[in-house]
Amino acid sequence: MENTLIVADLASLGYGLAAIGPGIGVGLVVSKTIESIARQPELASKLQVTMWLGIAFTEALALIGLATPFIF
Amino acid sequence: MSKPNSRPTNVNELFKQVLLQGTLLGAAIATFGVTIGFIVAGEPGSASALIGAAIAIVFNGMTALSVWIGGKLPLGGFYGVVLGGWIVKIVLFIVVIGLLRDVEFIHGPTLFFTLVASILGGLTIDALAVLRARIPTFDE
Repeated sequence: MENTLIVADLASLGYGLAAIGPGIGVGLVVSKTIESIARQPELASKLQVTMWLGIAFTEALALIGLATPFIF
Repeated sequence: MSKPNSRPTNVNELFKQVLLQGTLLGAAIATFGVTIGFIVAGEPGSASALIGAAIAIVFNGMTALSVWIGGKLPLGGFYGVVLGGWIVKIVLFIVVIGLLRDVEFIHGPTLFFTLVASILGGLTIDALAVLRARIPTFDE
C-alpha cells in the first residue's frame, strides 16, 4: 500500500517534470519571436514559421514524456 | 489547392501542405502499427495503435493550426492563441492519458511506440516542408 502511494507520487512528479521543461522552452521560443516581430514586423511570416518548427520540436518532448506511463 | 509535393510559396500553402502530409503519414503509421499491434497483442494492440496515431495526428495538427490561425491576428492575439492552444493541448493530453491508463483494451507499449513514431514522423514532415518552402523574406 505504502509502495503504491510512493509510485503514484513519483508518477505525478514525472508528469510535472515532463510538462515544465517544454513549457519553459515554448515560452522562450514564443517570447523571442514576438520580440523579433516587434523589431522587424515585415519579417513576421518567416519568423512565425520558424517559431512553429521550434514549438513542434519542443512539445514533442512533452508528449513523449507524458506518454511514458504506458511503458512503465 | 496546392499539390501535395509542390513547394509552398506562402504561409497558407505551407500549413495546408503540412496538415495534409501529416495526416497521410499518421494514417500510414497507424496502418503499420495496427498490423504490428495485432501480431504482438491481438485486438488490444490494434486499438492501441489506432489511438496512439490519432493522438499524435490531432496534437501535431493543433500546433500547426494554432500558429496558422494566430498568424492572422494582431501580436497579442497571436501570443494568446499559440500559448493558450499549447496549455489546452497539454491539459487535454494529460486527461486523455489519465483516462486511457487503466483501460483494459489498451496495450501500453504499442500505444507508446505508435505515438512516438507518429510524433517523430510528423516532425520530419514539418522540418522538410519548412526547408522546401520558398516563403518571401518580406511580406507584401
